[in-house]
Amino acid sequence: MSLDPRVTAALPVDAGQSLADLDLFALGRQAAAARDQRLGRRGSFVRARQLAADGTWRGPRDAAESYVDETDLDAAGGLEGARRTGVNALVAARISPAAHAAADAGLRVIVRVPFKLGESDAERLQRLAELDAAPFAIWGALPSPGGEPYGLDTLRLFALCRLSLPRVAHLLSDVGALGPRLAQMAFGFGADELFAPIVAERALRLGANAHNPSLTRKEAATLIRGAGLVPAERLGGGALEEVTA
Amino acid sequence: MSVTFSEIRDKVRAAEPLTLEDGVALFQHRNLMELGALANEVRERLHGDRTYFNRNLHINATNVCEASCRFCSFARLQPGDKGAYTMTLEEAWGRLRARVDAEDPITEIHIVNGLHPGLPFAYYTDLLAGLKKIQPSIHLKAFTAVEIFYFSQKFGMSIEAVLQALRAAGLDSLPGGGAEIFAARVRKKICDDKSDADQWLEVHRVAHRLGMRSNCTMLYGHIETVEERVDHMLRLRSLQEETGGFQTFIPLAFHPENNALMKLPAPTGVEDLRTYAVARLLLHNIPHIKAYWIMLGVKTAQTALWFGADDLDGTVQEERIYHMAGADTPQVMHPTEIVRIIQNAGRTPVERDTLYNVVAEGDALLPQKPFRRDVRRRTLEVVS
Repeated sequence: MSLDPRVTAALPVDAGQSLADLDLFALGRQAAAARDQRLGRRGSFVRARQLAADGTWRGPRDAAESYVDETDLDAAGGLEGARRTGVNALVAARISPAAHAAADAGLRVIVRVPFKLGESDAERLQRLAELDAAPFAIWGALPSPGGEPYGLDTLRLFALCRLSLPRVAHLLSDVGALGPRLAQMAFGFGADELFAPIVAERALRLGANAHNPSLTRKEAATLIRGAGLVPAERLGGGALEEVTA
Repeated sequence: MSVTFSEIRDKVRAAEPLTLEDGVALFQHRNLMELGALANEVRERLHGDRTYFNRNLHINATNVCEASCRFCSFARLQPGDKGAYTMTLEEAWGRLRARVDAEDPITEIHIVNGLHPGLPFAYYTDLLAGLKKIQPSIHLKAFTAVEIFYFSQKFGMSIEAVLQALRAAGLDSLPGGGAEIFAARVRKKICDDKSDADQWLEVHRVAHRLGMRSNCTMLYGHIETVEERVDHMLRLRSLQEETGGFQTFIPLAFHPENNALMKLPAPTGVEDLRTYAVARLLLHNIPHIKAYWIMLGVKTAQTALWFGADDLDGTVQEERIYHMAGADTPQVMHPTEIVRIIQNAGRTPVERDTLYNVVAEGDALLPQKPFRRDVRRRTLEVVS
């Protein structure tokens, strides 16, 4: 499979070389450096709320961001209906007409990057090349595993996203899909924002709540700081406010 | 002036032992990729891409425990307390019988228990002897140093006499649990009613002198300081200089659910990787570093294979101690899955026995071989 030359040019690898041959640490260092060069040594989080298919909101009333998942968009009354309720961001499953329309309407568009075990390197790079060539502005990429992800496979994918998506500014690390440990490690491989519900109080993760991916503001800041970055909260309008210890 | 990373790197490459100051500096080094790469250099120098696992069964025969460790979610103080249990010998033996009946070729049983005030010494010797009777070739890695020391106090025997009696019943090696953090300040706060650091080390010293191998651990991510972590590892390294009997160091991540320290946050993924990397660099004389997947989670354990670890532990089955502390990992992992995890990490899986003899590698790894009933028990050479 021939790869987009822009992709291979951005990578420390020939088109025919396997990712398994890459030095993990060199890849991580380059991805982190690319993030730092573009955004500074800052990691962010945002207090967001999600518009669900049944029309209810999940998340704080005074959230800085209100988003809808593309799969819930029809139930939410389409793009216009969602906007009327206050939605200002769309999480899209792919490069779709809905994502295109949302971007044209001024919404922040985050596109999922699906990945699963056993995929070839070429498949992934091609997928990323297509994403980078989208005919509209993508605010962020959100790696989304199909099934339980492996650690190193995920971290390599993050590095590739950072290095091969020069038009996409942000790389989000999904605490719900990756778990807090791996989500934090992703900051060493180019991620710059935690994607997680930010709550006022930490819930005890017991029983049915054992896999609750929510974080408090303090926990989010601790994860980012522990990854060696300066934590910042993204406020309404996109402004960033550093979180001090 | 504090030591620089490049100075430490030079010492590592010259195979010079690192100091307390070096260890602290490594924990404080901000660049995790640089730290990981150096730990990986040592890991690959020792083992190349080889990554070990075994097929084992855990038996936690009782959770009744006189000690009141504040980090523990497993123990119950009295036999009648809610959640307390003690297996009959038949129940414990039945765990192995079930594996034998299933033709599961496990090579090791890992046994760790609470400090039960009411069980006679014969319970433990009979437990071991019964397991050996069912499967003579099985390796019994049983009883932490804390348990051995407790037996010596409770039954009025020397540590050596306890170990000799258990050995005669079938004990092959000791697991590494109970070490927690050696610093007296920490032990006083989290586990002040069980053996102290010197007693823990003495049990392993005696075991090594008798020709047994053992593992060692460190429970990190609770109230200890970085200096106390490094001090802990250096004390282990010092005993290893003396005896050479430790096989594996296992950093254990603190789990904050269902115990008296549940207000503390769990260690983060980056802290896990940093701890593994520093351990690999400080413990130059302990051959293996184990990423215990039950406690770390599979994703972090796999990542640790590039940050100093060369072992994933085993198939496990029926682990209770960390699951009662909130571990959300499965209780068993099929060898096929372990092999896949290792291969996905770009490493070469090697099935080992407890003493790191190769059981299978390459094409022989899978499919599973039939249960080996004819393997003779190995006699260890006496070290030191």
